[in-house]
Amino acid sequence: MSLFGTTSGFGTSGTSMFGSTATDNHNPMKDIEVTSSPDDSIGCLSFSPPTLPGNFLIAGSWANDVRCWEVQDNGQTIPKAQQMHTGPVLDVCWSDDGSKVFTASCDKTAKMWDLNSNQAIQIAQHDAPVKTVHWIKAPNYSCVMTGSWDKTLKFWDTRSPSPMMTLQLPERCYCADVVYPMAAVATAERGLIVYQLENQPSEFRRIESPLKHQHRCVAIFKDKQNKPTGFALGSIEGRVAIHYINPPNPAKDNFTFKCHRSNGTNTSAPQDIYAVNGIAFHPVHGTLATVGSDGRFSFWDKDARTKLKTSEQLDQPISACCFNHNGNIFAYASSYDWSKGHEFYNPQKKNYIFLRNAAEELKPRNKK
Amino acid sequence: MGRKKKKQLKPWCWYCNRDFDDEKILIQHQKAKHFKCHICHKKLYTGPGLAIHCMQVHKETIDAVPNAIPGRTDIELEIYGMEGIPEKDMDERRRLLEQKTQESQKKKQQDDSDEYDDDESTASTSFQPQPVQPQQGYIPPMAQPGLPPVPGAPGMPPGIPPLMPGVPPLMPGMPPVMPGMPPGMMPMGGMMPPGPGIPPLMPGMPPGMPPPVPRPGMPPMTQAQAVTAPGILNRPPAPAAAVPTPQPPVTKPLFPSAGQAQAAVQGPVGTDFKPLNSTPATTTEPPKPTFPAYTQSTASTTSTTNSTAAKPAASITSKPATLTTTSATSKLIHPDEDISLEERRAQLPKYQRNLPRPGQAPMGNPPVGPIGGMMPPQPGIPPQQQGMRPPLPPHGQYGGHHQAMPGYLPGAMPPYGQGPPMVPPYQGGPPRPPMGMRPPVMSQGGRY
Repeated sequence: MSLFGTTSGFGTSGTSMFGSTATDNHNPMKDIEVTSSPDDSIGCLSFSPPTLPGNFLIAGSWANDVRCWEVQDNGQTIPKAQQMHTGPVLDVCWSDDGSKVFTASCDKTAKMWDLNSNQAIQIAQHDAPVKTVHWIKAPNYSCVMTGSWDKTLKFWDTRSPSPMMTLQLPERCYCADVVYPMAAVATAERGLIVYQLENQPSEFRRIESPLKHQHRCVAIFKDKQNKPTGFALGSIEGRVAIHYINPPNPAKDNFTFKCHRSNGTNTSAPQDIYAVNGIAFHPVHGTLATVGSDGRFSFWDKDARTKLKTSEQLDQPISACCFNHNGNIFAYASSYDWSKGHEFYNPQKKNYIFLRNAAEELKPRNKK
Repeated sequence: MGRKKKKQLKPWCWYCNRDFDDEKILIQHQKAKHFKCHICHKKLYTGPGLAIHCMQVHKETIDAVPNAIPGRTDIELEIYGMEGIPEKDMDERRRLLEQKTQESQKKKQQDDSDEYDDDESTASTSFQPQPVQPQQGYIPPMAQPGLPPVPGAPGMPPGIPPLMPGVPPLMPGMPPVMPGMPPGMMPMGGMMPPGPGIPPLMPGMPPGMPPPVPRPGMPPMTQAQAVTAPGILNRPPAPAAAVPTPQPPVTKPLFPSAGQAQAAVQGPVGTDFKPLNSTPATTTEPPKPTFPAYTQSTASTTSTTNSTAAKPAASITSKPATLTTTSATSKLIHPDEDISLEERRAQLPKYQRNLPRPGQAPMGNPPVGPIGGMMPPQPGIPPQQQGMRPPLPPHGQYGGHHQAMPGYLPGAMPPYGQGPPMVPPYQGGPPRPPMGMRPPVMSQGGRY
């Protein structure tokens, strides 16, 4: 029975080797734990594209490594390979054909990891840590887009040491997403720019941020015709903005919602507001998942504007998340994200990556 | 509704001053927002009912009605829908309404959905340039069911559809998900059927309401009819208009005229995006939007709406800026400086130890000094500075190697490890200080 198939019920079966102790809250959702998880915080996760048979998960961590696991249908995770950078890895992505993995690191470089040969070569260079890396596949070109804290967005042909194009950003790049022909980049100081990638990348519009706090994560969503039509932007203030690029009625169509906050408004204690560390859209349903510093993940339906589910609280923040190509698996990483500063960092604490069956829980709510 | 002694023309909630199209919806609203037990979420019928429930079932006393505006929190007043409202409050309301009718309702915008979370007005009204009329109690979470007034805004310059008159798309009134939602973004469509006796778009629609603004293609009439049904988002006459055609199925190009602006390079392009055959590419100017009105208004909307948002609660003055992380009612779980968590973490010596240095031994954290004071003193060293001296060619230690960098030629690399775990990293680059975690193995192979 396939653990991650749509018809099966996922559950506690699987390789959870850490028995359930009464007080241990590291996996309250009883999801599958990925074996051999990284030794330091996980900053990014990415599943293989549909062109590869099966599911392969890549995770980049603050231990400077990038690890690859094969995730089998029964929930077993098999470590496959690993590469290193000389600095923490901040972002990872796959090429469209599933043969290469691109990794971006604090060592100011981005690398291309050829999985077949297990070789990694540097393909990009910046003046500051590279925060985002994305593969762009256009009909007439292909390239890697890197966003860095050096306030530039560079596009690289992996065969050449010089960038094909460099675009200036108003501020340090904090997060980005690419769904051809659209790219969305959010920067420090609440900068937000949308690029169009047809023919060649160019800035399409600078958008005034719908959020009032520092941008932290962004994810593009598509319309019913499978074309990118807007994005979800998360901030450090427990809030996500849904923003359409060309909505018929922006004031009505665009909205924000609060998330990842503790306590209700009914209690007297001040509410704790946590950062949204990641947003991912379900590839089939179009619903989205958010993960936060509060150690919870939530599923939302942006069209029905409702929350579908919120998880129990993990004992560590959830630092990254992603869906696999068909939406059956939701992976989320439990590791410290520095939201409470240096004092709360415990290097001994184990970092986890959990896998959950996402086929059922992310179905859109039926609208009346 | 023509009776003189009308309770305000439209039902409204005494606890939070919101308007509703219909008393039924008002009651649902009250049950969901004001008479809902915060412990077990049971919906009661009245304030006193809620108090009794909490006492009997949970042994808890409750002294104020949840989500009520100050002055209207009396839990002992038995108010159900419009019944039980003290006369003086009714009068006050009538007066306020009259005042408002003159300048008509300001736009009201619903940012947050009830279903998502409750919200404080300030935070959510990011699109709302104007202060909300106190009386409307534009409490974000409660979308006013079909509050037509808003659109009225006489100020509504034609062609600024987005400026949201604020029909809160969500009709929170309905506890369950938005009924009106389906058309969701397309309010225009079919005018909400359910609307119980949808009063024509606001008779009150102040004359100010610009008549069918010449919205591209927007059938004027729509406004009039429009909505009003609870949940019809579409209120705002003009803006709403926007909807007309774009019923979901219609696919508008995401980036209109994108092609034209780029000199339409259809053929293969070289490594610098210049077409391999000939035509020089044009400048990368943003393409002209096909619907200028929309894009502009969108732009202006966003700008206006955000003008009030002003700077985030934090005072971003200069680097290192700090955030206002604590307020009376909430606390932001984030370090005070307004830099990202990753930047903060990357400043630690622990994470800089292995960064490549131009031929130097691993080094801790060189002072920022040499950087020419680019960064004002910060608690840590801004990541940009990690060991990269400005004088160095931008590509750092790799700069000089680029030309010869065999690293870029696939296949020129000596095979490194083939085994799955632990494959030495770089294929190129001068020997670096041994990484904390790896044996020097790689240096050997990596030399070029």
